[in-house]
Formats: sequence, structure tokens, C-alpha cells
Amino acid sequence: MTIIKKFEPELPQKRISKKLVVSILACLFVLTLVQIWVSNTLVSYGEKFERLSSLEQTLKTANQILENEIAKKASLTNLATESAELGFYKQESIQYIR
Amino acid sequence: MRIYWIKIFFLLFFLAIFLRLFYWQIIRGEFLQAQAEGQHFTDVTLKAIRGKVFFSDGSLLASSNPSYLLFGLPKVIKEDKRVDTAYALAKIIAGSDAKDVSEVAKDTINKLSQDLYWIRLYSNITVEQKKAIERLNISGMGFEQGSVRFYPEGSSSAHLLGFVGKDAKGDDKGYFGLEGYYDGELRSLKGLVRQERDAVGLPILIGNFQTTNARNGKDLILNIDRSVQFIVEQALKNGLEKYGAKSASAVVMEPKTGNILALASFPNYDPLNYFNYPKEYYKNPIVADLYEPGSTFKVLVMAAALNEEAVKPDTECDICQGPTSIGGFILRTWNNKYFPNTNMRDVIVHSDNIGMVFAGKKLGLDKFYSYLEDFGLGTPSNIDLQDDFSSDIRARAEWREIDLATASFGQGIAVTGIQMVKAVAAIANGGKLMEPHVVNKISDENGVFEIKPKVIKEVIKESTAQQVKEMMVAAVSEGEAKFAKPKGFKIAGKTGTAQIPVAGHYDPNKTIASFVGFAPADHPKFVMLVRFDQPSSSIYGSETAAPTFFEIAKELFTYYKIAPDE
Repeated sequence: MTIIKKFEPELPQKRISKKLVVSILACLFVLTLVQIWVSNTLVSYGEKFERLSSLEQTLKTANQILENEIAKKASLTNLATESAELGFYKQESIQYIR
Repeated sequence: MRIYWIKIFFLLFFLAIFLRLFYWQIIRGEFLQAQAEGQHFTDVTLKAIRGKVFFSDGSLLASSNPSYLLFGLPKVIKEDKRVDTAYALAKIIAGSDAKDVSEVAKDTINKLSQDLYWIRLYSNITVEQKKAIERLNISGMGFEQGSVRFYPEGSSSAHLLGFVGKDAKGDDKGYFGLEGYYDGELRSLKGLVRQERDAVGLPILIGNFQTTNARNGKDLILNIDRSVQFIVEQALKNGLEKYGAKSASAVVMEPKTGNILALASFPNYDPLNYFNYPKEYYKNPIVADLYEPGSTFKVLVMAAALNEEAVKPDTECDICQGPTSIGGFILRTWNNKYFPNTNMRDVIVHSDNIGMVFAGKKLGLDKFYSYLEDFGLGTPSNIDLQDDFSSDIRARAEWREIDLATASFGQGIAVTGIQMVKAVAAIANGGKLMEPHVVNKISDENGVFEIKPKVIKEVIKESTAQQVKEMMVAAVSEGEAKFAKPKGFKIAGKTGTAQIPVAGHYDPNKTIASFVGFAPADHPKFVMLVRFDQPSSSIYGSETAAPTFFEIAKELFTYYKIAPDE
């Protein structure tokens, strides 16, 4: 008897589930969208960052100027001049009371 | 055969591509990368400011103010707009003076006419001027921010501070005083941010950042008391005018710690515009100028003689009946008055030169020389100011008998003001010599470093210091300056009137008039030296330096709430 084809029971083939593939693809798609959104947002944050840096520098400069102005107004040279203009004078003699 | 040649052709073709890729990616790779980085990366300088200087109470003595450099781009500004632009700028920069405006405008036109891409127009532009120029909306102009030193007290404390100039590289550098001595600490370090930028020039936050942090300079907190400094400066300025002196200086020190409470000299200069003043003004006379101390030196020689028990306060001088001759020279008292058998206490009270020659002889040259070194003479005082100076004491072998005699009353020997006050402070401090210091603390973002008081050595015994102190109290209450002394306060001090050597001889009409002392005598709060150079109203220390000393002392008693103790 000539054997034409040997009958062998068909083993069940391991197949990747369709659902898994779709899920992975969906996840990748969502991640891609998220990345595009994050990149776009970061670009606009770059502009905000630049503006805030510039504002920080301006405020620091303004603070420094104000601090110096206060120091100048509070200087003893200035106080002596202003107090003389207001009529204050140095006490020549001091009495000590025991 | 044709297939063979096609294969060879494709092989050669791919080889050519490979070689070209190798050339651009490997051989020229670095160059192209640099070019790309040049397009994508920008360097942003992070500015840092020079450290500040504060008085002991935390008020500001020196700081930095933002300033701007105005630059122009001559190739951008059109020729027909140059004149209008120049005059518009000149009105803001030069102010209201028409002559100045015209000069500034002509200068601007010259600069903008040059065949350059970039030119510096004006520096030290203030914030208000910058805003006014920005409102003009001129294209082809820009600003670079920098900083300029700011002194809220004006030219006060100029010799103490020094000034900030430029070094060879054009960076800020301190010269003289604190700015010079502490330049390393005060100096700031610029930072750098290398950031990736997009086509519009905005930073890409997820891109590459390389940061070198900027570091502000360290701040100095001084021992200088703002009020004491003000009091001393006012009194000195008044004294300079009143006594017609060439110059005046004073230093106040806390004897127990060596803390410098005030230091002033006139004539002074404006540290912001130091270049408009003669260079001779930059040096701080208290630490850099040598002078012959005259009679103020007698207290140190007497202290040495008493400490060695060569004399006692009641030892009588047996050569004091008249002038004395040493090595062919005749030595006299300052007023030609003589007190036979006077004791050592009265030698100080009368400022008797012959009495001091006697004490010096008793002490002997070897011990005298050794005490000069012990009192810190002949070496710099170690005060933290850049111009600290000392002359060397002549070698021991070169001293003759006449040198010992004259040095005993403070002539023929040169000291600086700070050396003198440091030595006398040892008498006020029970014999302990303290190192003088202007700075109390150095602070930055990492913490505070405190400079503690330093005892150099115990020069004389406490009992000797007490004896000399009593002599100095007697010198004030019974001596030439007694009429100017504030009533009710026990002050220890000594006047000095030293002739100035001119071309090998002493000019009798030119003197250094000084007064050194401390108060209150029993618990000294301060030791002070006042010095007038060539006063014209009177040559004597008792009539110039002493009244100024007492005037300052009176105000300090009030300031420190010290009640009379007599």
C-alpha cells in the first residue's frame, strides 16, 4: 500500500490574538497623540519660560535699584542734611542726673 | 559579461557613496556638528553682582547699581537719520546744558559714521536714561547690561573702601582699601547657560541645557560703626578747615578686640570718579603713610622702661636740670623748661624730652629695640586693608647713642598711624597687643565666616599697663591739653608735636600734630589717634589734635551712653 499522505492530527496553531494586536496598536496611537500634545505644549512653555526669565531679571534689577535708593535716603549724610533743614541741631551740653 | 560590468558599476557607485559619507560624517563630522550647534544652541550669560559691604549695624556701605552700555550698529542706521538720532540721544545723555548736548551729539555722529558693524556709544547709562532711549524707538541701537559700584554714603569712607576699576582683561577689580584686599571674595563669577533654541529663538525645554551657575560675590560685614564713622569724619573735616592743616586723619579702635570702629582721612576722593583725583589721594594715610610720632611715642618707651623695672613711676631723673649733650648734639625740651629731679610720672605730664632720654638710657638699646618689635613696629600691622605698610627698623648695629636718645621722645623713628594706635591699645588692654581688623564677617549663600579677635602677644604686664595708664590720665588732666578736656570723664592720652624732616634737617614750622588716647580710662571703650599734617593755626598737638580728639570723645560718650566717672 502506497502511503500518499500520513494523517497526523492537526495541532492547534499558536496565534496572536487579534484583540491584543488591536490593543497594542491603539496604545501606540494614543502615545503618539500624547507625545505630539506634550511637544506642542512644551514649545509654548518655552515662550513662557523666556518671558518669566526676563521678568525675573527685570524685577531683580528693580529691587536692587530700590534697595540702593532706600540706602541713599537712609544714609547719615542725607539724614544730617534733612534734619538740619527741619531745624534740628546738635546738643552742645548734656546734663547728667544721678 | 554585461551583468559583470553592471555589478562592478554598482559596486563602485556604492563605494563612492560610502567614501563620501565617510568624508562628511567622520572627517568633517566635528565641523558640521559645530555648525549645527551654532544654529541650534545659544549661550546666555548669567550675570552676577559684586559682593556688598555693610556697616556693623547692617546698613549699606557699598553695593552695585545696574548700568547699561549703549551700542550702535552704524551699518543699520541710515545716513540721513544719523544727525537726528545723535541729537535725540545727546539730550538724554547730556541733560539740559546746550553746550554738552552739542558736544555729545557731535561725538555720536562721529562714531556712527565709522565703517563698523558694531560700535560702543556710551557706558554707565542709568535705568531712567535707558527707558527714555527705548521710547525713542531707534533701530540700530541696543543695550548691554552691566553694573557699576554704588556708595549710598557718597565719598564717606573712601580711604576705607578703595575703589573698583578694571584689570587688563576689562573685568572689575578692586584697588586699595577693602575693595583691593578682599577683591577675591567680593568678585563675582558670571555663569553660562548653553540652551537649545528653536527657529524663532525660544528655548526648547526638553532640549539640551548645559549650565554653569553664576556666583555672586561674598558680602562683607564690617566692624565699622556707621555713627562713629560719621562723627569722626565731621570732626576731622571741621578740624582740617579750622586749623588750616594740609591733611587730617583719625582712627578709632576697640582695644579689647582690635575691631576698627572708624577710620577717616582728608583730603579724600569720590570712589566712583577716582580717575578725576590725583593718585596720591588713593592711599590710606592711616595705614600707608609713615611719620615721626613725636611725644606720643613716649608712652611706649616709658611702658617698656617700667616693664623692665629700669625705672619706676617715682624714679627721679638726674639729668633733667637742663639741656643734655649726646654724641655732639644738644637735646632740649620742647618748650625749654626744665624740672630738676622730676619723676617719671611728671616726665610724661610735662612731655619732658630729657626725662625720656634718661628713661631710654636706663632701658638700654637692646631692650629698647626688642620692645619696638614687640609693640609691632617695623612690621605691617596685618590690618585687612590693601595699602598696609611698614618701614623696616634700622638694624640694631647701626644705632648710635644719639639715635636711642631721639627715638626715646619719638623723633628719628617712623611709624604709621595704625601701628601707633595698635601699640597704645595694648596699654588700654592690660598689656595685650591685638591684631586690628576692619571686617567682622564674610557671608555668602553657603554661610558666614566670622573673623575672631586675635591676641598677638602680651607686650607688657597688666600692672605696667596700669601704671602707664595713670601717667596718661595725669598727662591729660595736668598737661598742655587740660583746657580742652571734657569735664567729668577720665581720659588717658598723650599729645605729640613732631617736627617734619626736610632735606636732612627738621623744619621748626612744619609739624605733625597728633593726639593718641583711650577712654574711659578705667574700662576703655575706644582708643583713638587724631593727626593733623602741618596745621597752620598752631603747630602744637595740644592746640589742634587734642581738642579734635576731645570733641570726638564727647560725642562718643553720648553715643555709647557713658556717664561721667570723675
